[in-house]
Amino acid sequence: MASLRIPLEGSLYYRGREGQWAYWLHRLTGLGTLLFLTIHILDTSTVYFFPDLYQHAIAIYRATPFMLGEIALVFAVIYHGVNGLRIALFDLLPSWWEADRQRLSFWWVVGLSVLLWLPAAFLMGRSLVVHNFLGG
Amino acid sequence: MTASPLTSAEGPGRRVARPRNFETTAWLFMRYSGVLLIPLVWIHVLIQDVLVGVHAIDLDYVALRWATLGWRVYDGALLAFTFAHGMNGLRNVLNDYVRGRRTRRALDIGLLLAWLVITAIGAVAIVGGVGRPG
Repeated sequence: MASLRIPLEGSLYYRGREGQWAYWLHRLTGLGTLLFLTIHILDTSTVYFFPDLYQHAIAIYRATPFMLGEIALVFAVIYHGVNGLRIALFDLLPSWWEADRQRLSFWWVVGLSVLLWLPAAFLMGRSLVVHNFLGG
Repeated sequence: MTASPLTSAEGPGRRVARPRNFETTAWLFMRYSGVLLIPLVWIHVLIQDVLVGVHAIDLDYVALRWATLGWRVYDGALLAFTFAHGMNGLRNVLNDYVRGRRTRRALDIGLLLAWLVITAIGAVAIVGGVGRPG
């Protein structure tokens, strides 16, 4: 496991600040989304293969922990997209490759992601409260 | 404008010959599919998760949606591009940590098979449509 220990341990001591945070968040949100996506493809496929199981799967998705996870998933999908656009934009504009500008761009990505996520989180949170706690 | 240290050697925007191999194609696929996935995935998430919501989704809802050919094509594009983008991303992450040539090869074959099988399952479901519950 030495091959895993070195990069993971190194990332604790390497002080890359914003650039490194953007990188780790990009990986984390990407891997998290892929995990959900894999499950999501398989559970949606049950509409054709085992329709009875689909009702079951949907019932699980309606549970409170899963709906909270869904709200987090939406943030992951938004951040991964916005940060991906940032990376593509910087690749197109080499004149922007300055440490200060790169550092600031991470905060723009975070701000924009949160701004896009808040209305979605509000609507999903309201749906969660109405259906799971108020019996709507 | 002051020249940044990263580009001062040859000036910004210099061209570098890049090899035409699998990794170049995979990199380009990640970039183009990534840009495409922003509208594709965001619209899907906005409609299904935010506006419709999981409490309104059931077999009838899926059947109604898939009655329109356009939505089946949309879901097919989602399946093809999201999963390929995600699995290749996972391959990139694993290649950062896995050193051994044999382990890498085994993981690549495993990922390729998982990608093909799961994509095929999803594609059969989209083409086949909603079945009748027993």
